Amino acid sequence: MTESAREPVNSSQQLLVKKADQIFNTINMGLILVNANEQVLMWNDWMVKHSDVSTDQAITKKLAEVFNESPSAAFLTSLRNTLNYGLPVVLSNALHRSPLALYDPSDLSNDRVRMHQSISITPLFSDDEERCCLIQITDSSASIKREKMLRSHSEILKKEASTDSLTGIYNRRFFDEHFAIAMAHSRRQKLPLSIFMLDIDFFKEYNDFYGHIAGDKALIKVAKTLKTQLLRATDIVARYGGEEFVLMMPNMPEQGAMQFAEKIRAAIFDIAIPHIKSRICQQISISIGVSTYLSDKDISLHNLLEAADAALYKAKQSGRNQSHYLALEHEQNPAPTDTKDV
Amino acid sequence: MNTLTELHLDALSEVFNVGAGRAAASLSEIVGDEVRLSVPKVEVRKSTEIDASIMAISGNRFGAVTQQFTGPFNAEAVLIFTEDHALEIVRDMMGSQMSIEELAEFEQEAMCELGNIILNACLSAVADMLDISFNSSLPHYAIASTEDLFKRIAQTTEHPYILVLHIDLAIEKRHSEGHLVFLLSSASLKNLVDQIDRFLGNI
Repeated sequence: MTESAREPVNSSQQLLVKKADQIFNTINMGLILVNANEQVLMWNDWMVKHSDVSTDQAITKKLAEVFNESPSAAFLTSLRNTLNYGLPVVLSNALHRSPLALYDPSDLSNDRVRMHQSISITPLFSDDEERCCLIQITDSSASIKREKMLRSHSEILKKEASTDSLTGIYNRRFFDEHFAIAMAHSRRQKLPLSIFMLDIDFFKEYNDFYGHIAGDKALIKVAKTLKTQLLRATDIVARYGGEEFVLMMPNMPEQGAMQFAEKIRAAIFDIAIPHIKSRICQQISISIGVSTYLSDKDISLHNLLEAADAALYKAKQSGRNQSHYLALEHEQNPAPTDTKDV
Repeated sequence: MNTLTELHLDALSEVFNVGAGRAAASLSEIVGDEVRLSVPKVEVRKSTEIDASIMAISGNRFGAVTQQFTGPFNAEAVLIFTEDHALEIVRDMMGSQMSIEELAEFEQEAMCELGNIILNACLSAVADMLDISFNSSLPHYAIASTEDLFKRIAQTTEHPYILVLHIDLAIEKRHSEGHLVFLLSSASLKNLVDQIDRFLGNI
């Protein structure tokens, strides 16, 4: 290399030598240099500010003994590996959180918690000296905060996307997704799955007479009552459309399903919401169509919903305010079990 | 001689399993659960021969952690997490609620660390066996498509050889397979062979 080519490099190196100390202490991250015996050789101002350990206190001490609380075992193992093998190591915040006793200097409380950290440990080589290690620490609190905020936003959005805004119960989208999952589960586990389609009787007449605001209130009451009837965490009630609701009860065989249908029909009837335009009696009632998937039948999601829907149609045709069961194997023929309340 | 014999591969397989054991110990320490890691198979290929079927890679996208190693032989080491299971394992390790797709993008640092632990453990085991030492870059994590990766491997003319380690990773009930790929130049492969010969001659 010629003299002239080396010049700019040299001046930049000179500048680095002059400024290195300032850079080392100004940089917005923790920098520690340790030797092969794990003794601290350098300790920058950032470390002083975040550890309450001054440079004088830190220098020549073993890194494991510098802090007022010992570093995590994983950190010490990594440091030793880097010193032994000369291979760089990263300690992610996600897996380690806070390996070192470092704190936010503005946190003056007595029960302050350690700062979130991301750490990398890199070996530094030189020909004549022993191997030493540079430890770089960045404060990842800000990204953790951002991550938490994004996560809570996404949870809210997820909840909104699956909820019916009027009644607060699940919406059809949620039902469709979970119906497919529940059906696959029932198939695998060879368990029955009962579906209930239900409809408020003469609801158009209710809306026309009482107005839409009253109609909405009635829908909310019905939805709430249906929700109180659920038995297990896997049971789902959703608003399927206008005044139509759907319930999914995994592991409920057909006899149980008919009893349950009667129970919810009675529960809605018993709220006794006045409905003088109903041609059944003077209060709100519902019609229910029920069908059950039995493990020995090879049917699709669609078949089961269709059967429940056909059963609902049958219940309406037979005079409403009743539940009707349609077995899947006889899709066209109504099952004999009919119940009536009025 | 420019390639690895069965004897060489056996020796490497043995040493990489020592590395896998060390990586498993580190991972267990972090997770607080038993982690099992093994290298059931080691093979050498020409990089032009490599494709998805050899690697038994399923799925379009995966995470890859890369480190450049230099020393008596140089290599670019790429750890490939081929299946969603690998990400599920990371998710379990972190107790995260995120979906697998989100996780791959979001937890780049954690993926880097997982790769770093396995890569360093394997390399340090080689260093111990051959009594050599390596330098390495910090790990780099990228999400790539299968196509991109193989295109890149096939195009790296300075690395005509690849050493493929098939890796089994298991935590509790979850089990995953990964691949550790070393991209080697002809000279580096020769150096590796020489180093192993030296080692085999010593015992």
